[in-house]
Amino acid sequence: MNNTLSLPRVRLRLPWRGMLISILFLILFPLLIMPIGAIFVFATRDGLSRFIHALTGEGAQFALRLSLFVAMITSLLNSILGTLTAYIFANYRFPAKRPLGILINLPVAIPTVVVGTSLLLLWGPIGLVGRYFDPLGFRPMFAIGGILLAHVFVTFPYMLGAVKPVLDELEVTYEEAAYTMGAGRLKTFWYVILPSLRGALFTGTLLTFAHSLGEFGATVMVSGNLRLRTQTAPLYIFSQFEAGNIEAANAVAAVLAILSFIIFFVLLHVTEREQPDEA
Amino acid sequence: MTLSKIIAALCFLLLIAYTWPIVIPEAGRSSNTLVIYGFSILEEVVTAGILPAFQKRWKEQTGQEIRFYTSFAGSGTVMNQIRFGAPADVALFSNALDAYRLKGAGLIRHDWTASPHKGIINRTPIILIVRKGNPKGLSRFQDLERPGVGIVHPDPQTSGGALWALLAEYGAFDLPEGGSAAAAREGMLRLWKNVIVLGSSARAARTQFEMGFGDALITYEQEAVKDLTRGKFNHQVAVPDWTIYSEHPAIAIDRNVPPEKAPLVQAFLDFLWTEEAQKIFVQYGFRSITDERLDAENPYFSTVPHPFTVEAFGGWPRANADIVEGLWRNQILEEVHR
Repeated sequence: MNNTLSLPRVRLRLPWRGMLISILFLILFPLLIMPIGAIFVFATRDGLSRFIHALTGEGAQFALRLSLFVAMITSLLNSILGTLTAYIFANYRFPAKRPLGILINLPVAIPTVVVGTSLLLLWGPIGLVGRYFDPLGFRPMFAIGGILLAHVFVTFPYMLGAVKPVLDELEVTYEEAAYTMGAGRLKTFWYVILPSLRGALFTGTLLTFAHSLGEFGATVMVSGNLRLRTQTAPLYIFSQFEAGNIEAANAVAAVLAILSFIIFFVLLHVTEREQPDEA
Repeated sequence: MTLSKIIAALCFLLLIAYTWPIVIPEAGRSSNTLVIYGFSILEEVVTAGILPAFQKRWKEQTGQEIRFYTSFAGSGTVMNQIRFGAPADVALFSNALDAYRLKGAGLIRHDWTASPHKGIINRTPIILIVRKGNPKGLSRFQDLERPGVGIVHPDPQTSGGALWALLAEYGAFDLPEGGSAAAAREGMLRLWKNVIVLGSSARAARTQFEMGFGDALITYEQEAVKDLTRGKFNHQVAVPDWTIYSEHPAIAIDRNVPPEKAPLVQAFLDFLWTEEAQKIFVQYGFRSITDERLDAENPYFSTVPHPFTVEAFGGWPRANADIVEGLWRNQILEEVHR
């Protein structure tokens, strides 16, 4: 980002500059800005009390709580799993490292509905593995466990993507210095590696959190959409909208939009602050 | 730096405090919970009418509180969720076909047709909802085959109401004097060329109609009656002279009901056929299955001149093979897309 800024800027003096900018605004306005605006216009159209009422309903509250809870656990699990994976990939050589490296980034490209379907076909009561666990009473699908599985899968690359570049570039000498001074592996990890990962972990957590909060495609397949038990906020929005309760759907949509704005601006703030240090 | 750390810590604590209740109900699950999966249009009557009434009865009889968990979607969606492991104790389907499928998959082991009224809890005819003033003059299924008519239809692959609609369309062309299976095939083909939107459930199709799509919505009479009762119906009902009564079964899912919970599940099912429950159904726009006289309590029901039921086609398994699969999926759907 800084590199591009420091390049000598050649400004084309096109005669239709004003027109081009207006066209851009004309396109972006209905494309990006108006749809987001519509949520808030609808949310407040019938007065704020109706909005609050729709939001404080038992179903809406549960759905928001569940989504935040799942996002939190997903971020936690993936920060451990992602850091471990990145550490292994940065430090060790092992067979099938390359194909595995490609595989772990695959969730970015797989449609989330496909993730949901495949989890059902694996862990569902008639699934490949699930059929053996079903008689034992272990049924992860259509429960919070199933939602977590889906979210960890779908958001896995975000934490990895944030942590791995930092670990890859971390000077081995620091680590070796720590060892020579007599620090154990755990101590080295805790005092040397982890502090340098702080920024990356924070960014990765926020990205994971945001994606988990809004995850729909995989969740709708594995959650069972059970009100007050497995219905997350995006599922609540979809169900309520389908049932014609647009107010209820919209209130929760507005909250999700605000939460994502907050996460986005925190991310922006953090990355902008860290950028100059690295350059 | 320290300020942002404090803010971050506060946010985190807030998050924990807010989401904490999620952990609690998972722990406190007992035999006094009832998980009900139902098809779309039952949502209001079940959550606002039937469940509170049953809860009261159960408390009077046993002194226990029951906690309900519910999920509503298209009947086919619900059936598939249960088949793939959704923890439903009781399923309320739009038609018996979904129950036959779960029986085939081994999730239902008893014979629900031995229950009162063959397991059917209520019924409602399939009708048309048209725009105010009926500008296109639509009232029979035959009117829907005219060029330029836009139809909003629920999706037969996920919605039970859509399957009833298919039978209603078929019967309207086939059953009257002079009708035939060939006429039904031709008529349905032209009608399906006019379908502009498929909704995943009857309720979803209704929402799409509300959003302004189409001239006619094929759906349950209950959809209209429920809103007429509340005085907020902005469209018009058109009752075809020949149409079907859709009949909705309630069934315990044997695989998911442990023995200690069976009495509660049975009590709930029995409750659905009591006069109290039937009156609630009527109040929400369904017609009673136990006593037609109860229907008089809702003034918004229409008269159907020539109603028929799925028995006109030999019951659900046969109607599904002949009309839904044989005609609609294998012939009409193929030709419409050509």
